[in-house]
Formats: sequence, structure tokens, C-alpha cells
Amino acid sequence: MLTAVKNQTRITALSIKYALMREMLNKATFTSNVVFMVLNNASFIIQWVVLFSIRDNIGGYTLKQVLLLWGLAAMTYGVSRFFFAKAFSLSNIINNGKLDSFLVQPKNVLISAITTDVSPSALGDILYGYIILFIYGFSFGTFFLYTLFGILGGLIVTAISVILNSLSFWFQKTDVIAETGNNLMTNFATYPDGIFKGAVKLLLYTLVPVGIATYLPIQVLTEFNLVKLLIVLGFTIIIVLLAFLVFYKGLKRYSSSNLMIARI
Amino acid sequence: MPKEGRFMAIITVKNLSKTFKVKLKEKGLKGSIKSIFKPKYKVVRAVNNISFEVEKGEIIAFIGPNGAGKSTTIKMLTGILYPNKGEVNVLDINPVVNRKKLAYQIGTVFGQKEQLWTHLTPYDNFKFFGAIYDIPEAAVEKKIEEFNEVFELSEFINTPVRNLSLGQRIRCEIVASLIHEPKVLFLDEPTIGLDPVVKENIRTLIKRMNKEYKTTIFLTSHDVGDIEKLCKRVIIINDGKIVLDDSMENLKYHYLNKKIVEVKMREKVNLDNEEGITILKDKGYNLKIEVDITKKSVTDALKLLNPENIVDINISNIPLEDIISTIYKEGI
Repeated sequence: MLTAVKNQTRITALSIKYALMREMLNKATFTSNVVFMVLNNASFIIQWVVLFSIRDNIGGYTLKQVLLLWGLAAMTYGVSRFFFAKAFSLSNIINNGKLDSFLVQPKNVLISAITTDVSPSALGDILYGYIILFIYGFSFGTFFLYTLFGILGGLIVTAISVILNSLSFWFQKTDVIAETGNNLMTNFATYPDGIFKGAVKLLLYTLVPVGIATYLPIQVLTEFNLVKLLIVLGFTIIIVLLAFLVFYKGLKRYSSSNLMIARI
Repeated sequence: MPKEGRFMAIITVKNLSKTFKVKLKEKGLKGSIKSIFKPKYKVVRAVNNISFEVEKGEIIAFIGPNGAGKSTTIKMLTGILYPNKGEVNVLDINPVVNRKKLAYQIGTVFGQKEQLWTHLTPYDNFKFFGAIYDIPEAAVEKKIEEFNEVFELSEFINTPVRNLSLGQRIRCEIVASLIHEPKVLFLDEPTIGLDPVVKENIRTLIKRMNKEYKTTIFLTSHDVGDIEKLCKRVIIINDGKIVLDDSMENLKYHYLNKKIVEVKMREKVNLDNEEGITILKDKGYNLKIEVDITKKSVTDALKLLNPENIVDINISNIPLEDIISTIYKEGI
């Protein structure tokens, strides 16, 4: 079991490395993608600086906490899109019969399929996340928790995308549903949770679990709370397992295709 | 248990069926709107109750026209698709139950689907495939060295795959699928789109790996040359059903009851309305006829032409391609 996990990790790391090498073939495009994503994220902070010049507190957040929120949201987004880029176009992979080459390999089909590509701009998101952490105030404890929450958030976002995209096994074109779900996760993650009340707040801790991926981690980073940390950890494990379950249940309905396909 | 006088079957297929549900749509925008509210489906039976066995070390041709069910069958044998009915066993492993275990034992090459990373060299790709099959790095290096020699890859082993010719790429695809020394290799149209010289190279490679590594080869191809030059047994599938499962020798023996006779003559001969003779081409002194040997022997046909009258003659079998086409069209 342990050897299998070790071998799967080895091949996943190799796959991500080769995908990154492919993106780095064109140095100018690669660098500009990373740099411009950092600048793009930074530009959004300006509006918050303007808002906080009028009020000291928005939805229970200070400017520093909003910065941290943006940083963590970028980290979460970056981790999911860099390491698991294909999870966001899984519907297309399923519908076009591109799972064949992964199915004939003795490895986990889902992990192999979603780690064959990386998004260079997502590297910019991760970089931006760490820049924000340094602005917020660096300490080893915060760095560790921030990185952990970035990874857990990334896994939650990826798992949600896998679940929504896997619906393609049953309903064919579900890419729009998946995209809507992914956009909801991204958009809500950049607003202080104090501004949401009632049903919306309930939604953010259940169906669109931004509350668990981003808000709870911000609360833990501001004031450490083991229970909240364990809730995030537990939720991540459950949703990742659910993603595997839905994908493998759907895989039995996979119909492949005879399209001419090249791995480029 | 091994059968008397035969090797043990390493692929067993029993009453295998696969159906697909296909959405029907009436033409035009109106049809598209209608299909949203009242979708109609039809069930396509891609593979219909087929059974066969393959023995160790065989090179078997699994052929049929487009849409006959070849690829669907291969995909069920390799664990890509789940069958609706029936049993599949490859090397005593059920692909549905134990896909990963089977994957360590088999290799697959889909001529229409590329598995190699195009920005990497074949060498790096082989190392990647070695890692997929959990082979220690030193063993992969050794294997690459061996393949480099056996399959003559040195000329392009360090060139990125995207810069290789189609023939070189397919060669690398096949070699990559051998890195873990599979016991069975599934080749789905490996020579598609290749020129005759490259096709011949690929055939040599397939023959060599069958001979050197005792690999059982399950081949689908539309190229009669592949089938004729590589396979000793042929299974023909049409409309999801097996219409023929026989040795190549028997196929030729049973279906080659016609001979093609091409003659150059001194004087014209009229063979119109002769029983057992069909005139294929008549250019005066040059004649091409088909002799049905169940009705008339070749000797009798030659007597009609008058041996003294013949300047040059060529007698040949009906091309295998024509036999297969006839089976596709008419069945057995």
C-alpha cells in the first residue's frame, strides 16, 4: 500500500515536472504569464485600499485581513490550477474519450488525468499569495499554516471541480455547470464573510464551501483555533474522497471515442 | 488447464456484449429544441455476444470494417470499457475487477492516439513509462539500451518526439509500450497513415518482438499487408458479431477457389458464356480472366486459350484484400 502511494506520488511529480517543462519551452510567454498574474491580482487590492480609507472595518475584516483573504484565495486558486489544471476541463476529457491512455496504465486514473498539465499563471497566483503573507507579517507558524490552508483549499476547489465535471459521465456536457461552480468558489472567496447573512452564509458553508476553504482558515490564521483547523482538515478529506467516489462511479459509464488524439 | 495438444489460452472471451445509448436528434434547430424536451435514444449493439480464445505467442489479426466492434472489443480487453454482458479474462485477470494488475502485464498502442509527451525525447519518454510501471531506474536504462540496439533507435532517441516523422513516432510508441515487457500487446491500427517502407519497418519490429520476447500480439488493422505478413490466425468481426475465426492458411484455402489468369496471346480467343470463366479485362491480345476452379480447372481454361497461342502467362490467387472485402459484404 505504502509502496503504491510512493510510486503514485513519484509518477505524479514526474508528470507535473514534464508539464512544467513543456510550458517553460517558451520562456517569454511563461514569465509574462507568471508576472502578469501577480500584477493582475495586485490591481484588485486598490479598490479595497480605497474602501478602507472610508471605513476601518468591512464585514468584520480589517485591511490586513482582507489582504490575507486575497492572498489565501490566490493561493487556493493557484494550487488547484497549477497542480491539478486538468480537473477544470475534466468534462472535455471524459466527453472526448481522452481517458483511454490513463486507463491502460497501472496508476490512479483520476490523479494521472488531472496532473498532465499545469497553468503557468497559477504559479503567479501562488507567488502572489506568498508576497501577501510577507506584507501581512511573516512568522514560521503563520507560514506553515498559510501553506497548509493553501494546499487544503486547493484540494477542496479541485475536488468540487472533479465532482461537477464528473457529471459528464451521466449528462454529457456539464462543463458550464462545473465552470459556474468554480467561478462561485473563486468570487465568494474574495469578500469578507461578515457581509453575508442567513441563507447565503449557510450556502457558503455547505454547497459552495468557500467558508471552509477560505473563511475558517482566515479565522485560524488571525487567532489559532484547533477545532476550526480540524474542521477544515476533516472536510477536505471527506470532499476529496467524495470526488474519487463520484469519478470512479462515473468511470463505469465511460464510453471512450475514436477521435484522433495527440498528447501536446 | 492446458488443452490437449494446445497451449493455454491467455485471452478468453465468453459471450461478450457491449451496448451504447445514442441520443437521436431530428434535423435543424427545431430538432435540437425538441431533443431537449423530449429526448429520444437508440441502443447501438457495438459488440454482440462474441466468444474466442487467444493462445500464448500468437499474432492474431482482429479485423472488420469501420464500426464493426474491433476497437470496442480491444477496449474491453484492456479495461478501458466495461462490458454489459459476458466474461473477459486476459492472463487470468478480469480487466473489470483488476485493471491495474492487468496493466502491468499488457501493452497497448493506439495508432490514432498518441501516448508520448511530444516535447520530450523518446529517451525521456521511455524513462517516464518505466516510472509508470515502477521499474527501477537502472533497469529502465538497461532496457532502453537493449531496445536501442534491437529496434535501431539511436538515430532519433534524443530528438524531441514532435520533431520525429510519423513512422519514427509510431516506432517509439510501440517501443514505449514494451518497456515493462508485457506478455500481451494490443495494437490498434499501428500502421495507419504510414508509407509502405515505414509500414514494412513496423511489421519487422512487431515480428521481432514476437520472436525475441515471445509477446502475444492482438492486432487490428485495415491494412491487408499487416494481416498477411504478420498473422497466422484471423478473426473477422462485422456488426458486432464474429463472422470468421480461422487460420490464415484455411482462410486462403477455403476462399481461394478462384484463380486469376492473365495471358498475352498471338490470336484473339472468344471466351464469352464459358462456364466458370469471368472476363475481367479484354484488351484484344491481352486478356485477364477469373477461373472458378469449382466449375472449371485451370488446365481446362488453358486448353480453351490454346497453349500454342499463349505468348506469356501469369496465374495468381485472388488478393486477400478481395477475400476479406467479400466476407465483410456477404458474411460467410
